[in-house]
Amino acid sequence: MTGGLALRGLRVLDFAWIGAGALVTKALAELGAEVIRIESRARPDNLRRSPPFRPGATGLDASGYFASRNPGKKSVALNMKHPKAREIALTMARQSDVFTSNFRTGVLERWGLTYADVSEANPKIVYLAMPMQGQDGPHRDYVGFGSTIAALAGLVHTTAVPGRPPIGTGTHYPDHVPNPGHALVAVLAAIYHQQRTGEGQFVELSQLESTVNVVGHGVVHSSLGGKIEPTGNRMPGSAPRGVYQCADDQWLAIACQTEAHWRALVSVLGAEAWLDDERFDRPLVRKQYADELDELLRASLAPRSRAKVLAALHAAGVPAGSVNSSKDMLEDPHLQARDFWQSVDHAVIGDLPMFHLPFRADAEPRPTLSPPPLLGEHTREVATGLLELSDEQYEALVDEGVFH
Amino acid sequence: MDPSPTAGPLDGVRVLDVTDALAAYGGRLLADLGADVIRVESPSGRGRCAYGPYWLAAGIRPTSLFERFVNAGKRSVTLDLAAPEAEGLVTDLLASADVVLESSTLVLTDAGWADERVAAVNQALIRVQVTPFGLQFDDPGDSTVDDLILLGAGGLLHLGGYPDFGPVAVYGQQSTYMTSIFTAVATLAGLIGRIRTGESLTADVSAQECVAQALEESVVRYAMTGEVRAPQGDVAKEAGTGVYRCADGYVSMVAGRLGTAAAWSALVELIIESEPELVTELSDERWSQFEYRQRPEAIEAFREVFERFTATRTRQQLYQAAQARGIALSPVNDLAAVLDDAQLLSRGFFVEVDDPELGRTVTYPGLPYRMSATPLAGPRPAPRPGADNVDVYVKEAGLTVDEIEYLVARGAV
Repeated sequence: MTGGLALRGLRVLDFAWIGAGALVTKALAELGAEVIRIESRARPDNLRRSPPFRPGATGLDASGYFASRNPGKKSVALNMKHPKAREIALTMARQSDVFTSNFRTGVLERWGLTYADVSEANPKIVYLAMPMQGQDGPHRDYVGFGSTIAALAGLVHTTAVPGRPPIGTGTHYPDHVPNPGHALVAVLAAIYHQQRTGEGQFVELSQLESTVNVVGHGVVHSSLGGKIEPTGNRMPGSAPRGVYQCADDQWLAIACQTEAHWRALVSVLGAEAWLDDERFDRPLVRKQYADELDELLRASLAPRSRAKVLAALHAAGVPAGSVNSSKDMLEDPHLQARDFWQSVDHAVIGDLPMFHLPFRADAEPRPTLSPPPLLGEHTREVATGLLELSDEQYEALVDEGVFH
Repeated sequence: MDPSPTAGPLDGVRVLDVTDALAAYGGRLLADLGADVIRVESPSGRGRCAYGPYWLAAGIRPTSLFERFVNAGKRSVTLDLAAPEAEGLVTDLLASADVVLESSTLVLTDAGWADERVAAVNQALIRVQVTPFGLQFDDPGDSTVDDLILLGAGGLLHLGGYPDFGPVAVYGQQSTYMTSIFTAVATLAGLIGRIRTGESLTADVSAQECVAQALEESVVRYAMTGEVRAPQGDVAKEAGTGVYRCADGYVSMVAGRLGTAAAWSALVELIIESEPELVTELSDERWSQFEYRQRPEAIEAFREVFERFTATRTRQQLYQAAQARGIALSPVNDLAAVLDDAQLLSRGFFVEVDDPELGRTVTYPGLPYRMSATPLAGPRPAPRPGADNVDVYVKEAGLTVDEIEYLVARGAV
């Protein structure tokens, strides 16, 4: 067994859907677990209807967004609204090590699949719930998305150019790293405890509480009376620090932390006159004229090739780097050397790049991710395998609308 | 060793933490889960986690609040890993540990403890080695681990910002939180692997790849359609989704996208019931179609109408009114408002911590999760550097006080 497949032989019964939950179980699959997604045509995962689609493509198996979150998993179509579905789910739970969901409070209660229900069937199970703001409290039924959770947690107010409206990351960031990341940490810790002692447990991650932790140092500062206001790309101690456009709509970032960096930057750009400019020659004064300096940097960098400028800056020891677009990310030489992207052959979409967890284990090749599943692709396999139904029993349940 | 019944899930696990700001929060997560996390700091010089904000007050030296937050719950020893005199202590620490965390370069190798030498002391050690671009690109001479650079390298920076200004970095050293979270993930995978197979993992964590987990669907979008996503800025993608001004700041809303069609109707009702004179603007048939709401003229028209409604209402008033109707609206909270949030206060989320460096009580967020069988203690004070030298070196490693004094005098401790 390779070092990176710590969860090989373990099974996850996966009710997680949309974004945050799906990334938890994607990671568990990559770490070697068998992940069985439960979904239904009666109420498909919203992500299956989300773009991008190939031009003209339709249906519940054509979404690139869904695909990006779901390699490595199996899909069983089970209509939880059908009275026979619960017993099937509990049968699977009895043979699973982990149960995951990120539904809002109430859904699992309606289906009779709370922690109390599932742990009665299987006391050693690790059960993850990811309610938006927690299972209790005055806002427990409040609804949200990654972007609104970011706003609630303080990430949007603090991300802006001073004087302009606040913007946050431009993504549903809490759904991508803070919440699935923290949930994964807690689930793995619970699995460790389960493997050591045989004891399962209930893990609750409030998406709001988890997100507040990634601005934790700001919360501490605020509690001392600090007022945290946005600073654009600027930070105390660095001058200049910013993002600048080069030729061909390519951007780079520069962050001079020392006077040596500043002098090297000036030298690379051939802008020695700036060293004699009393607005820029001392760091504390340079900060006051940051807008003026940024104007000059923009003008100097705009016509240049990003690749050539970065090569020169790196050679001179100036902290700088490419601001990678989505195209740049696929072509990035570090990521390619490390096999970060893996192409899968999706039955409907064709070739698609999937991303791996961000570490290599024991210098071994990355684990191979199976393609994202079509809806219900593995229903027969699981029904006649894990559930030990005969083909006839399986087909009868399909006809009844249980496996749907 | 059997875990204590009231301890965290990592009770009995010892972690040597020689991280810097890039991965220190990873050690913090493990400490929160009950591991004994021992930071090893240089006997002289500034700590390696010193990022702003800094707290400046009479009577204390400038203190990094970032460092206080990411080192909560750890112990701290001082040790010059490269000093010949320190060899015995380094050997003891490595022999007693289950995990070593290193960032942003190979700290042990740089100090003369190459991987083979470490393995000879302790075959079972789990190693988590965190660098900006991965081990094969590690450049110990390169101190350029700036958050802006890493957010750029990882692709998240390009997705944010304003169309007429360019990319703007998210607040709060997010590259360190992202990298640290996956540092903890790799560690936990290693711990599980070790008890299940007896083998010990060495994990090569790339900070760039950690950031690249946050790219939403932008990469598959490029692969499938050739479109390179550009920042929206404060221009909404469709009417009903975006950031809107109100009486005392801004609110953030998602209403009308897939799955929230009902929220769009509820939103129109809310506006019309409260401000009947706005009824003509939004009641036209075409507003009920999602395709229409995505057109630039609809986006602008909606903003205009909605901001007339919100101009006289506060963030909190809008929050309650919208959520009462199932509309996903949140206040754009500054951090003081986060500390005041009714839900977080009701959950007892914030924790008062007595900080020894600051000499006063500070408010920390509580932990990101709760576990029913292995209750977690919650954030505990970050240590003063070297505060645990006596406990670790004398009580646990068995050195005499004289021996420690000798090492201190030589600058090794």
